Amino acid sequence: MKKRIRFLAILASLCILLTAYTPAVMGSSASAASSELEGISAEVVDADLTCTITLGNWPPDTAPAAELALFEGYRAIMQLQYPNVTVVPAYFSYTLSNYLPMARGGTAPTVFQPPFTDPQLLINQNLVADVTDALEQFGILEKFSPSFVELLGDENGRIYGLPRDGYVLGMHININLFEQAGLMTDDGLPMIPKTLQELAEYGQIIREKTGKAGLVFPASETFGGWLYTNIAWNYGAVGENALQYQDADGRWMANFTSEPAVAAMEYLRSLRWDYDILNADATTTDWASAHSFLGTGEAAMNFAADDSVAEPTAGGGLAVDKFALIPFPAGPGGAYALTGGTCFMFAPDTTHDQAVATLGFLRIIGMLPFASDDIVAGMRAGAAARRERGVPVLPPIPAWNDADFIAVQREIAEEYANVDMRLYQDFFDSLTDGSVALKGEEPVFAQQLYRELTSVIQRLITREDADVLRALSQAQERFQEYLDDELNNR
Amino acid sequence: MKRTGIIRDFDKSTVSVKIGLTVVYLICLVIVLISLFPVFWVSMAGFKDLKEFMSSIAILPAAFDFSRYFKTWTQLNIVQNYLNSLYAILGSVFCALIFNGLLAYGLAILKPRGHKILQNLVMFSLLIPATISLVPLFMNIQNLNLGGFFTPLWLAAGASAFYVILFRQFFQSLPSSLIEAGRIDGCSQLQTFFRIVLPLSKPICVVVAIFAINGAWSDFLLPYLVLGQGRWQTVMVRLFVFSTQQTINYDDLMRAVVFSMIPPIILFFAFQKQLTENIVTVGIKG
Amino acid sequence: MQSPLILLCQRKEVGAVGKLKPRTRQQMISWLIMLPGILLFAFFVWAPLLQSIQMSLYRTRNIELLEFVGFNNYISIFRREEFHQALVNTFSYTFWSLLIGFLIPIFMALVIGETVRGKGFFRTAAYVPNILPGLAAIILWTAFFSAEATGVINILLSKLGIERMAFLSQANLVIPIIVLTATWKGAGATALIYMAGLSGINPELYEAATIDGAGIIKRIRHITLPAIFSLGSTLLILQIISIFQIMYEPLVLTKGGPDNASLSLMLLMWRYAFGGTMDFGRASAVAVIISVILLGFTALYSIVNRRKTEWE
Repeated sequence: MKKRIRFLAILASLCILLTAYTPAVMGSSASAASSELEGISAEVVDADLTCTITLGNWPPDTAPAAELALFEGYRAIMQLQYPNVTVVPAYFSYTLSNYLPMARGGTAPTVFQPPFTDPQLLINQNLVADVTDALEQFGILEKFSPSFVELLGDENGRIYGLPRDGYVLGMHININLFEQAGLMTDDGLPMIPKTLQELAEYGQIIREKTGKAGLVFPASETFGGWLYTNIAWNYGAVGENALQYQDADGRWMANFTSEPAVAAMEYLRSLRWDYDILNADATTTDWASAHSFLGTGEAAMNFAADDSVAEPTAGGGLAVDKFALIPFPAGPGGAYALTGGTCFMFAPDTTHDQAVATLGFLRIIGMLPFASDDIVAGMRAGAAARRERGVPVLPPIPAWNDADFIAVQREIAEEYANVDMRLYQDFFDSLTDGSVALKGEEPVFAQQLYRELTSVIQRLITREDADVLRALSQAQERFQEYLDDELNNR
Repeated sequence: MKRTGIIRDFDKSTVSVKIGLTVVYLICLVIVLISLFPVFWVSMAGFKDLKEFMSSIAILPAAFDFSRYFKTWTQLNIVQNYLNSLYAILGSVFCALIFNGLLAYGLAILKPRGHKILQNLVMFSLLIPATISLVPLFMNIQNLNLGGFFTPLWLAAGASAFYVILFRQFFQSLPSSLIEAGRIDGCSQLQTFFRIVLPLSKPICVVVAIFAINGAWSDFLLPYLVLGQGRWQTVMVRLFVFSTQQTINYDDLMRAVVFSMIPPIILFFAFQKQLTENIVTVGIKG
Repeated sequence: MQSPLILLCQRKEVGAVGKLKPRTRQQMISWLIMLPGILLFAFFVWAPLLQSIQMSLYRTRNIELLEFVGFNNYISIFRREEFHQALVNTFSYTFWSLLIGFLIPIFMALVIGETVRGKGFFRTAAYVPNILPGLAAIILWTAFFSAEATGVINILLSKLGIERMAFLSQANLVIPIIVLTATWKGAGATALIYMAGLSGINPELYEAATIDGAGIIKRIRHITLPAIFSLGSTLLILQIISIFQIMYEPLVLTKGGPDNASLSLMLLMWRYAFGGTMDFGRASAVAVIISVILLGFTALYSIVNRRKTEWE
């Protein structure tokens, strides 16, 4: 017994020794980004504002040291500009299930970052604070594009948040695998699939030549349905063939059995059974692991957006010059790309002062549409930190209606560019030249729609004999029941 | 010599029985292998980096690089989390023993009028899925302003139907003469519990304590809500938050898993004799 | 001015109370001793339960009650296909759990009980999975059952020359696999309890049986198994109660897929509450349904048990 206790005591003291060593490791990585921060104004903005804000947009403590140092730098400036505001870092990985109890229990962070799928739900459920007045005070309400007013507001015109950045869905490419499969042009660029048909064919070549998956397809939970909607649009499931529509009486109707919707599902089915280019574990692959697959060279292509280029590169270890971002391949019915984004929203008990202080912080980190010198310095610091970590520095998809601000964002991206822009050219061209039409998510209960469609995909890629039309019509029935319960019969 | 079990010395003469015993040992080895292999595997996986983890089909890592473990260890601030888990455990064990013990003492020995109803209510509690109650429970905790510290987690361990039932069964098997003797010596009911019943119930106390330690170490959902991500977060809360992070690397996750397993394994091997023996004692009585 | 008679009466009254008092007082004290425990149960278990039952009868906006709708939540759930599937799946979990999870610990107890050397080690090793945190174990299993070439089970199978399999993508395999992982975690601990029961068997019984000419199989059949029967039936009902509430395993491993093949009732409840609609009314209704079914099982168990005791 004594021996045992001594053993445990030694172990415990070892642990403590190890912690004591920690600060030295973390502190040693001074960053180039922090030098950029010196350009930010240190003048007091509001000395009277007194409150505490908890910032859910803080990086997690597992983030690269450079990023954490950057935020510590932002915090120091915040203390100069708002001396009586206490900033509490509170990294918060938003999911609905985490957020709800915290919001109801009063422990949610002042500001957090839900995806564009959730603002309307959160507003309807009374789970976020009205920050219209604070936004007005900063004079940024008029810079909201109308679609964001709709997304982040209620029927009374009150606004509950602000956009952080947008994304457009495209495709991530692991160039290493394209090289191994011989799918390269004479300029040393990857031959990118322009259509869904080419995607299937290239994927097959990659599978044959390298043995790796041509396409990683996250088909767990709701992700599969989310990607399917984009494929279905490109097969023509829009307009009168849309996956959901309102009939003459205003009732919402599910429509999964139109010819394009079925054809799109047949296509996905063929990727598994005819071309066999999907990763083996598609039904349990989620968004995060799909990026790991691509980054570590287990898959050559991944339907993903411009806001997640850090995951396969800095996260997965893929060098920035072996990574490309291309437009979403076109289908027989057209070329659409899903657009969405992430926003900032506020805990339901947020006071006006807290909202103002938080917006003050967001201005420092360059998230508000101002192009003044100090904000540009903050954005520079962010870009420098990204470059240091090996993340492609790209021009952001504009979230604000402010030409000056957008121009500044572009400039900074160019200044810190660490990539061969030819690998991104088609993607960014497609946003402006009209070759791809941007389209938001399906309007009502998108998550539930995705869930039902994911079920269909899971059935089709796990059972060769499954019937596409039958699976779709069953899902349609289920979703219709859901729409009736939640909307039509209310 | 084999004097226990179904197969005995007198069976050993035949060849088929000898083969049978060999098979028994082989099966035992397989059981050990299956039980321990996943732990071994994940410790090995922790030495790999993401690329190797995602592509190598070898069980053993290419190199035993402890710096990777060290990096995750410092990044996740595991020591602080270990200490927090320790606080959670100490209070939980105390509450689990005292409150459930007292309640079971009332149900099994004191038996005041109406105790049957209470007993049925406690039994019924075993059938309720705890997850749905989570949100109302958390609201109630917040309304009483108990959030942010371990208090609700400790107290929650004092309301476990399972522990009450274990205690009650054990108390019922205690010889009533001893309890009578205490009463005659002038012990009050409460004194009887602490001076006579508890000392006689060491095996069940050890078992409940171990379950409570295990529970307090493993639980993450209520602790996550109650403690948040602040300075009190426990190891499993850390692992839970980490595993739901959007930008997560699987190699780091595997190392976090290893860290969450090390203390229970060390504790278990340090005290395994007490544990298995007491469970055996309790098992016979139950 | 009081008459002595009255005083006497009063004293008598006092005396009467005093006579009763020790009993009432004892009762009071007994309840007082249990009071802290009762308060904790009320706060942590019963009140949230009552709140859930109430919620199941309302249309809700997350956990706010909007309007009383009677049994409408229940009716709409019963109409939904996903509920039927979850119900069937949950019974399928139970079936597999009885087949795998119930028999394996008994088998383990019998086998380990037969060893002489290394018994302590076998017992300890088999118990290890039980002390590992559940979340950590499930994360492990995702790596084990991965269908990619790096999936651990697939690596082991390939060493045996067996082709790679997508375990969690097969509708008819996924529930048994999840039950296997749960069994892996719990079997060692359960086996320990059976071993305790087995060691309580009087060794002379075996000797007597042998003299009567009973072989090993017969001894197991007529002595060993009957001896652990009542222990087994208790553990059985506990196992049913716990497997009926299975949620984290499918939530982490498969999210209920493929095509809802591993969706359990509890997971459906989780989806209603946290899956995107925050429909706590329906989620609570599912929870109540689970409790009612379990109550039914338990009632059935106690009736069967009582019958059995009567026969004996």
